[in-house]
Amino acid sequence: MSVDEVAAGGGPALGSDPFSQGDGTLPYLLRLRETSMRIVTEARTPPPRRASEAPQEAPDLGPPIPELPSFEDRDEAAGTLDRLTGLLLTRRDDDRLAQLFGRLEGRPYDEFGASPRVARRALAFFKLLYKYWFRVQSSGHAVIPEKEGAILAANHGGLLPFDASMVVADGILAGQPPRLVRTVVDRWAGSLPFVNVFYARVGQVIGSRENVRELLEAKQLVLIFPEGMAGIRKRAADRYVLQSFHLGFVEESLRHRVPIIPVAIVGADDQAPLLYDAQPLAKLLGLPFFPITPTFPLLGPLGLLPYPVRYEIAYGEPFRFHEEFPAETADDPHAVRYLAEQVRRRIQEMVDQRVMARRAKRA
Amino acid sequence: MRRVLVTHIESPVGRRLAKALFHDPDVALVVGVGREAEPTFLAPYRGKIAYQRLDLAKARHLQSFLHSERFARARVDSVIHLPFAIEQPGERVPGGLPSLVSETRRLVEECVSRPAIERFVYLSSVFVYSAEPGNVNLVSENQLLGFDGEGDLDVRAWIDADLICQGELHGSALRTTILRAATIVTETGEFLNSPPLRPGPAPVGYDPMLSVVSERDVARALVLALHADRAGIYNIASHEIFPRSQLRESVRRLGPIALPTALGGAISLLEQALGRRAAHTTAFHRYGIVVNTRLAHDVLGFEPQYRIEVRGQGARRRIDAVRCR
Repeated sequence: MSVDEVAAGGGPALGSDPFSQGDGTLPYLLRLRETSMRIVTEARTPPPRRASEAPQEAPDLGPPIPELPSFEDRDEAAGTLDRLTGLLLTRRDDDRLAQLFGRLEGRPYDEFGASPRVARRALAFFKLLYKYWFRVQSSGHAVIPEKEGAILAANHGGLLPFDASMVVADGILAGQPPRLVRTVVDRWAGSLPFVNVFYARVGQVIGSRENVRELLEAKQLVLIFPEGMAGIRKRAADRYVLQSFHLGFVEESLRHRVPIIPVAIVGADDQAPLLYDAQPLAKLLGLPFFPITPTFPLLGPLGLLPYPVRYEIAYGEPFRFHEEFPAETADDPHAVRYLAEQVRRRIQEMVDQRVMARRAKRA
Repeated sequence: MRRVLVTHIESPVGRRLAKALFHDPDVALVVGVGREAEPTFLAPYRGKIAYQRLDLAKARHLQSFLHSERFARARVDSVIHLPFAIEQPGERVPGGLPSLVSETRRLVEECVSRPAIERFVYLSSVFVYSAEPGNVNLVSENQLLGFDGEGDLDVRAWIDADLICQGELHGSALRTTILRAATIVTETGEFLNSPPLRPGPAPVGYDPMLSVVSERDVARALVLALHADRAGIYNIASHEIFPRSQLRESVRRLGPIALPTALGGAISLLEQALGRRAAHTTAFHRYGIVVNTRLAHDVLGFEPQYRIEVRGQGARRRIDAVRCR
């Protein structure tokens, strides 16, 4: 049977042996293809406009919707990295990022240099770490305000600040609603080539009073490690023992009338146990410390990679000092020290509980 | 009704300011002074704007003008001083910007000694601030100035001139307002007065964020400062900020050539040997300055009306100021 015969409506006669005439479905498939082609062609052809149909004005739908950041911006060539990022992130992740950066209204950078595009790429990488390397478990998101500003005070550990990146990733991936946590970074990191650019593009800020004040007035979440550099250079024997706190976070909390949310991070202190801090070498190289770990400097830069330890992030009940004390209390060093000590004790308790639970589980 | 003396009116900002003052109903007369012959753009404004050619860097020129019959007839009561905005793209000021310190000092002294002059508005730069480590440094008006002995000569001149004007902020009958403008974007897509955007070597691994502002918005801010009731220091910038690399691409300028930080000392020596300023080591090449403009918004009512956009990519990248508000 030819195609012409099928098109003319012919087909195998009823009662005939279908197997003797090849594939009996072919005529029906050809007819189906023709029908579908006709439907598509008709749909593409615009209907003829009647003479009475004049072009109408666009309906008034009110003010235009603020422009959301476009991750498929033609201005920036979508390279291999962006395609890879697209594979790693889900639609839900992209929506969450769009919520965070929607306030930019099309601006490529926010006032602290954060770029939605770079943040998206970074999130794809840190999501891998979050889910598969550190296998982060987090709890207590309900205490994080949905829109208001707050200071997150956390314990610090590990040589490289993966604890900070995991809290930031947790804020985006698990926050209800998603919040961009702004980590206050040490000034020393701001002077490092490439690092200073990366931190700024992913929304992290250098630890100056001006920056913190601006963030809190903009109702952002500010992550502060009150232990400072002492937290990440403590030896393995001292892990999960909180060092003395800097007091600036309590002062800023009182001045800007925001709560302090204690955050316990368990796992960071195990990711790269510090055996010795070679201070003379650090001074020679202009570094704040020079770590000796079981793998560094034995394996070179690879030795700085964190061990795949399981992370646990817990958000505790907020301290609302600003409801109990006036803003002038920030100028009283004794009161501020007392309040900071309360926060330190709470975080230490939260950390101890989780470390004990881990040890019991292992035993 | 104000009667205003505007210095360096032939500069890009001065040109915008002349137009704004011409259309301002609260300004009765403008006397513009500049180094060049009368600019042609002033021709349509002759009914309200008079021009006088003089070199402010020369004390004799300034003295003879201030004691002239012409100045007495003008009955000037306000002065807008644009000392640094005379730097045109790709052009250096004869004698360098440090000569402007002396002209600013002389002008301020003359204004203080004349009770008829009530207001003094000075256009400074945000690069007077000290740049701290970090890709972005959000600074407000009370930030320390960059008293860096090894800094850029132009920047040191701006700081000195800024300090001279600051001296009149308190306890002086002259109501002084200092506007510190971010990198100024001209109508033609060029930049004014931005040390990080000048050609030359820069350390690798740094791409500081910079505040920008349209020249039209700067002119608006100057007019607002002229009529403001409160003296003080105010930052002027648009809402947008950009990394240095993007701004450089938009004007297709060569450099800065990225060099390893360790080579910084050697490069500085080479630059000095070639008679150039050792710009490589200045903090502005590594650390960004982004200004907080809240005070200008609250006190002067300044809200930028032009949105700065960088469009295109690579060689086709260009910068544009788009009216949006």
